[in-house]
Amino acid sequence: MRLAYWIYEGTAHHGIGRIANSLRDVQAVFHAPLGDDYINVVHTMLERTPDFPRSTTSVLTGRDLAQGNNRLPETLRQVEARFKPELIVVSASCSTTLLQEDLQTVIGNTGLKTDTMLFEQNPFRVQENEAAENFFTHLVKRFARKQEKTPKPSINFIGPASLGFHVRSDVIAMRRMMAALGVEINVIAPYGASMGDLKRLPAAWLNVAPYRELGLETAAYLENDFGMPSLQSIPVGVQSTLSWLEQLIDMLNTEAEKLGSNEKVIMPELTEFSLDGQSAPSGVPWFTHSADMESFSMKKAFVFGDATRTVALVKFLHDELGMQISGAGTYLEKHADWVRSQLQGYLPDELIVTESFQKIAECIEDQMPDIVCGTQMERHSCRKLDVPCLVTSAPTHIENHLLGYYPLIGFDGADVIADRVYTTAKLGLEKHLIDFFGDAGLEYKEKQGEQANGTGSSAETHAKGNQENASSDESGGMVWTPDGEEMLKKVPFFVRNKVKRNTEKYALEKGYTEITAEVLRETKEALGA
Amino acid sequence: MNSNQAVEIIREDNINHSFCGLASVGWLYQKIKDSFFLILGTHTCAHFIQNALGMMIFARPRFGVALMEESDLSKESPQLKPLIEEIKSDHHPSVIFLMSSCTPEVMKVDFEALCRTLSTPELPVLPVPASGLDFSFSQSEDSVLQALLPFSAVADDSEKKVVFLGSVNDTIADDFMAEAEKIGIPVAGFLPSNHFNDLPAIGKNTVVAPLQPYLSKVALKISRQRGANILKTLFPIGPDGTRRFWEDLAKEFDIQIDLSEREQMAWERIKTHTDRLSGKRVMLTADTLMELPLARFLKHAGADVVECSSSYINKKFHAPELEQLQGVKIVEKPNFSRQVQDLADNQPDLVITSLMSANPLAGRGHVVKWSMEFVLMPILGWSGVGSLAEMLTRPLNRKQHLHPLTDPVWKKGIMPSMDQNI
Repeated sequence: MRLAYWIYEGTAHHGIGRIANSLRDVQAVFHAPLGDDYINVVHTMLERTPDFPRSTTSVLTGRDLAQGNNRLPETLRQVEARFKPELIVVSASCSTTLLQEDLQTVIGNTGLKTDTMLFEQNPFRVQENEAAENFFTHLVKRFARKQEKTPKPSINFIGPASLGFHVRSDVIAMRRMMAALGVEINVIAPYGASMGDLKRLPAAWLNVAPYRELGLETAAYLENDFGMPSLQSIPVGVQSTLSWLEQLIDMLNTEAEKLGSNEKVIMPELTEFSLDGQSAPSGVPWFTHSADMESFSMKKAFVFGDATRTVALVKFLHDELGMQISGAGTYLEKHADWVRSQLQGYLPDELIVTESFQKIAECIEDQMPDIVCGTQMERHSCRKLDVPCLVTSAPTHIENHLLGYYPLIGFDGADVIADRVYTTAKLGLEKHLIDFFGDAGLEYKEKQGEQANGTGSSAETHAKGNQENASSDESGGMVWTPDGEEMLKKVPFFVRNKVKRNTEKYALEKGYTEITAEVLRETKEALGA
Repeated sequence: MNSNQAVEIIREDNINHSFCGLASVGWLYQKIKDSFFLILGTHTCAHFIQNALGMMIFARPRFGVALMEESDLSKESPQLKPLIEEIKSDHHPSVIFLMSSCTPEVMKVDFEALCRTLSTPELPVLPVPASGLDFSFSQSEDSVLQALLPFSAVADDSEKKVVFLGSVNDTIADDFMAEAEKIGIPVAGFLPSNHFNDLPAIGKNTVVAPLQPYLSKVALKISRQRGANILKTLFPIGPDGTRRFWEDLAKEFDIQIDLSEREQMAWERIKTHTDRLSGKRVMLTADTLMELPLARFLKHAGADVVECSSSYINKKFHAPELEQLQGVKIVEKPNFSRQVQDLADNQPDLVITSLMSANPLAGRGHVVKWSMEFVLMPILGWSGVGSLAEMLTRPLNRKQHLHPLTDPVWKKGIMPSMDQNI
């Protein structure tokens, strides 16, 4: 038992829901109490889904428990009738697993026409990522069938899923790179895949599985049972992307030989990867050589997140932007060994492995780095510490589901990350000025200082004086009684001035000479709060 | 009571989308400023609390989850003592509310006994039933107030005063105090108060005036344990409800007042909104228990309420509201699939619905309003009338203002699981 205020990784049933909501024609049914339905809200709110998420909670109540009712059969019938899915997946939640019911028999006795399976995870042992990985692999095992290989070189992109960190943009980045290479994408899964797509996974020449959290187990299965090789390195950063592309080309050409195909993949001109087809694929290499970026050699970065992004960001910041790494960590204990091995030689201290956000906040406070790459929680901690922070890892927040194209992978991703690091950190010259003159660069304080010292131009001062007089004229010498003032203080500060002005105007119209709490109340009522 | 019997309540199976009772922690921890809310629960409870309410933990959140892990499942009783010590030294609360959740309920944890062992005279630990097995969204505020009741002093029999029941913010509280004073009604205070040690005294002569529709059980408990009189009237929502509320409350104190003119003025002030709502067909899909008074206000504002669903209806406690809803289709514990079908068939002009269903329904072309906002926004009393009316017309006006979303292309690629042809 521990006291938790906030957690990084979601629940097992959230992991299952993420897979169900990535796939087409699947419906998850959770045998669970009402509150467990919150997982649907995470999809509809964060991803602003214009349709219903693919999961339904078969609401279990205390009364059902007392009376031995099970609504699951009826819910299953409703789900079948309403959604006509190809597959229904039934799962219990933390509280209902303790009931040790035989849900398999319940499903069997319901007599559905739809393919219906039970997927059980121990929610006290398994969390979001592992459950998602297990469920997705389970489905691939169920549906994947031996296929003719595609005539052209092709890949599957395994691992992007609903609510993943910027995966929608990553999918676009992958499509762009494959188009430039002339390589077909056979299937992207689970993101947007149908059961038919899962079936034809083995038609691809190889699997690309860059995410440590999701896809590796599936890739391993496809390698074992279908002899499909997989590329698992992470194409984050320009140099990583270049070597990733070289590996990919090598692997595809090896497959071509095995398949007796003469479809060779060759590296195109690098400009082919750019947005306009005629520029550098990424601005990062030149950017890092520019004089402005020299100060980044002195900047320290702290990185925290899931496994994939922690490794990718540390390497990118260090190897490509030439920054110092003050520390790094992950909340995914399961992947800690891999992260440690990947980051050998990069970290001044041990890799931090913790689920405690307070511990990470303490690390940041100790190190006071120039920039933090973390989750939404680190952004929050950093705001209190006034340390620049950019969010580079799940768990996602509504602000990580933006409209624009912000991938992490590929050349495009390198530009996105570099831009965000640059605009988040205090900049070179600007920082010198701030260090030298204190707050001189901060407009707000300067203005205040100007007024206090009377150093503004006389015309300006004069104008301001007039304005002040005017405003007190406008209030008609209105007096606020202590109870009126007291009540005004309770109005949130950001609207207080507006309320004050409106009340004075109202009081003037009504012919009041002083503003009591009663007058303020009357105003609120008259003006509709 | 006769007219009440005529209101038919349809009951369905509650396969619906809403939150569990833990949701009310979101506003209660802010209301009771010296409290700590400790949820005895699982990873699910923690993940729900931080996601569903969009609550970014603040510097020192006064709520947390005593996280039950696998090894805790086999233990005789949850070992909370060290956690209580941690909370004590970090937050110095005057009271800890120990909220139940589904897993310990299934395990049959005896919360009463557990709290007895954890409580000290300096720091009471109070059991609060809140699990999603029995409580939805706003309902656990009822449990919290029940837990507080023993700590409210017994009022002197000679004192006849009103206690307002339900958590409201300071501004609304001030408004109600002032209004009562103007009418000449003596006020004992609010349950809950801002601080644990500041609870109003309640006795035989207390008139308890419920402000929120989700507090039926504590109202009953107060009348049983203290013999207090529970005011039977409309909730102070909208000009109609607010007038009835104050007139009926005044009557309890033998004060006859006629607020018809004030009501008229309030309607007059929101005329542009009621003109907009007039004749509009509105459906409430059930979420927060605010549905009955909202439907009543909408009806009186000229809207055509095609369905008012609520997850819990108490025929006695809600009787005055139900009486006003003659002719409206009322459903308790609705089935959401049926509602989606009805929405498609009937195409109402406005749907008041949960956080979960709002975007998907908007995606189908419906004009939607989050029901949760009516719990969190100041819509009570005379000063809340404007916000209430404006909240209901804003989605209608916005829909009219925006370019229509007729081409399905604008919804493409947003949701990976969505059919290509929707």
